[in-house]
Amino acid sequence: MTPADLWPRIEPLLNRVERPSRYVDREWGACHSGDAEYRAVLVYPDTYEIGQANQAIAILYAILNTLPDVAAERAYLPWADMSALMREAAIPLFSLESCAPLGGFDLVGITLPYELSYSNVLETLDLADIPLRAVDRGEGDPLVIGGGPCAFNPEPVAAFFDAILIGEGEEALVEIVAAHRSAKARGASRGETLRQLSQVAGVYVPSLYVERRADGIFAGVEAIGGAPTVVVKRVVADFDALEPPTCGVVPFMDVVHDRFGIEVLRGCTRGCRFCQAGMVYRPVRERTPDSIMRAAVAGLACTGYDEISLTSLSTTDHSQLEEVLRRLSRRLAGSGVSVSLPSLRVDSFGVEMARLVAGGGKKSGLTFAPEAGTQRMRDVVNKNVSEDDLLGAVQRAFEAGWRRVKLYFMIGLPTETDSDVVGIGELVTRVLAVAKAATPPNARGSVRIAVSVSTFIPKAHTPFQWEPQIPLAEVRRRQTLLRESMPRKGVELHWHDSDVSFLEGVMARGGREIADVIETAWRAGARFDAWTECFSLQTWLDALANNGVDPSAVANRERLVDEPLPWDHLSAGLDRGFLVAERERALVATVTPDCSFEGCTGCEVCDELAVEIRLAGDSRG
Amino acid sequence: MNLRSRFVWRVIRVANGEFRLRIHYHKAGRLRWLSHLEVLHALERAVRRAGLAYAVTQGFSPHMKVAFGPALPVGTAGDNEYYDVWLTRYTEASEVLSSLRDSTPHDLAPLGAKYVGDSEPSLGAAITIAVYRVTVAGEESTSSQVRMALESLVGLGSLTVQRKGKDKVFDLARSLPKEACVSEKDGRSEVEIVVRMGPEGSLRPEVLVSQALSHASLDATVSHTTRTDTFIETTEGNWARPV
Repeated sequence: MTPADLWPRIEPLLNRVERPSRYVDREWGACHSGDAEYRAVLVYPDTYEIGQANQAIAILYAILNTLPDVAAERAYLPWADMSALMREAAIPLFSLESCAPLGGFDLVGITLPYELSYSNVLETLDLADIPLRAVDRGEGDPLVIGGGPCAFNPEPVAAFFDAILIGEGEEALVEIVAAHRSAKARGASRGETLRQLSQVAGVYVPSLYVERRADGIFAGVEAIGGAPTVVVKRVVADFDALEPPTCGVVPFMDVVHDRFGIEVLRGCTRGCRFCQAGMVYRPVRERTPDSIMRAAVAGLACTGYDEISLTSLSTTDHSQLEEVLRRLSRRLAGSGVSVSLPSLRVDSFGVEMARLVAGGGKKSGLTFAPEAGTQRMRDVVNKNVSEDDLLGAVQRAFEAGWRRVKLYFMIGLPTETDSDVVGIGELVTRVLAVAKAATPPNARGSVRIAVSVSTFIPKAHTPFQWEPQIPLAEVRRRQTLLRESMPRKGVELHWHDSDVSFLEGVMARGGREIADVIETAWRAGARFDAWTECFSLQTWLDALANNGVDPSAVANRERLVDEPLPWDHLSAGLDRGFLVAERERALVATVTPDCSFEGCTGCEVCDELAVEIRLAGDSRG
Repeated sequence: MNLRSRFVWRVIRVANGEFRLRIHYHKAGRLRWLSHLEVLHALERAVRRAGLAYAVTQGFSPHMKVAFGPALPVGTAGDNEYYDVWLTRYTEASEVLSSLRDSTPHDLAPLGAKYVGDSEPSLGAAITIAVYRVTVAGEESTSSQVRMALESLVGLGSLTVQRKGKDKVFDLARSLPKEACVSEKDGRSEVEIVVRMGPEGSLRPEVLVSQALSHASLDATVSHTTRTDTFIETTEGNWARPV
């Protein structure tokens, strides 16, 4: 069936909206597969410029479009000016490539990049004329599938999805599409199709799990209808064998991460105890320098970008990074193409790598994440970085000509005392002194230390999943304490909005009771919550109150180690005993080494998922 | 590279080091909704994809040596637009054109390519005459209605346009070197307007037409604007195409 082309109705709206290039498609690399037998649309629930560079969507888009008789398209949430005009003209949310209504696709895949996108998920479904709740969808509605970082505790949005993929999608999405196609070919009902999908490893079908309560208290989630008791995340064992997409969509618009990105490694085993990504994306799997170079050369030729970024959770941890950077800079010499590293290891090696990248050219800021101000606190979170590492890195950077570094810290970490908070200010004072001493006297006036402080939010599947988040009033008190301990001159201090962190905390560990809250807040106008100018805590507090949900019981309450958690039926492959042990070690400030380099620490991911650590140029694993 | 081009390469390279190639292209279809900056980035990326040996500026943040003609606003198409790109190696213009065609989105496709002397003035400064076609649609959009509306507005002698909160006054006799020409096509009116551009800002033809329509209280709106041609005005007052 040829899908309806909404373009003739959309174009007349474009001179009335900001940035029409969000809606025009026709970018280099966009796939126009025409009317394929099976049509999927991949949605990023935010504006085009925020979502376009998302690597997961780029990877899945490329994979789906190589499947025979399958077409994958993209959709983004229009900005409020456009969605208002679309509603006025009764135009549903459309895909970019064929400008077709989302409701006509076989599969609508929505990524869940951050908790604050949940109201946008509802806005997406509503604008697409797709019933918000899975239970209200009929045979003619598309299958709505979620995935991405927030899938590891998807319970707050579970009611809005027919299925949610836990973990990596390269292989799983192909299996999902195959299962759906075969169900369609058999003429299976929606219910049968979902039961079939629940048998695909890594696929969580929320309607096949029911919440149990005892005396009104959450008592766990139980599988029904033959669905697996625990859904275990998907992971690609041979990451290096996966061809990264090298001919992806090149946007016209100035988007975030507007460069050719190549994922050089996946996973991180440093073991920072607050970090959900470090826990749920294990084990570490590196691409070899040869694979990286091949992809870099092909990708730059195919996209025409003037910047290449080596992406991962921790790129300076790649075991062959130096070789990769040397080969890249030889290859790119004189082309005006630059290389960027998204984050740096906090030591002089990190700075050496940044020097390799910058060459003689522009030295844009360097970013380090010491996370905490005192050694005790860094040991608690297992950030294996000493003050000497940090000061050495800063000294090296300023000697090499950098004049600005950015430091990331968190407040509200478990066991934090006032002296740990003040310790951040004291550490920054020493950093500033080292930076100035390493800078020629005539340039010292331009030395800047940007300090960015966020509030710790306990996340599911981490050793801190049982910890309370500090209450809002306490966040403000510690922020004041920190401000007073921070040097004024030469320091730019930025906060992550504490109201936002509070809501994120509720979403991060909430259960199914949060679905009604999200719907109420969305109906009251909440959307684009990640945009400072659009966020209103009051809208959310009202929605929580209207649904009888006490947010502090979700965010600020310490859980018992043996109490059922809303995400217990979903597994990242981590052994619960490992998380408990890591928490106990945290509370006595004992560090745990990085298993990629210093032996197994017993998280059980490798055994549980039958995968292994793969370092480039290293046969161990 | 064949013998002849290698010979030319040596001769010109010694003379000035770089080869300035002028590309003639269009901004059409859906891509009329791009901003000037977006077009610029898209075409730079096309040059890189084409594998051309482009020159890179010296300095702190090296970038491709490229220069564009006058900007087109978001929503305005262009039939005959130009940019210059400096190459470090001589390649037959037809060869460059063909690889650029394969690497450029269709709606920004290159239409021609020609080497120009390095001493020629920049496109941005040299192009001072632009021809536009403004399409008017609506209940009251016959050619005679639109023509009368325009004549009445132009008769006022000047046009005040609000730009970024400030009033800007255009002397219409200077801004409009030729009388507008109105014709009818498929039930819509098409207005051909020639505008003289200058460093002090240029009159936007769709603004002129919109103001004329509202001045005459006509139930009609501008639906499309296309810059159909751009010219360099010589010292003798003649108009010449950039290539």
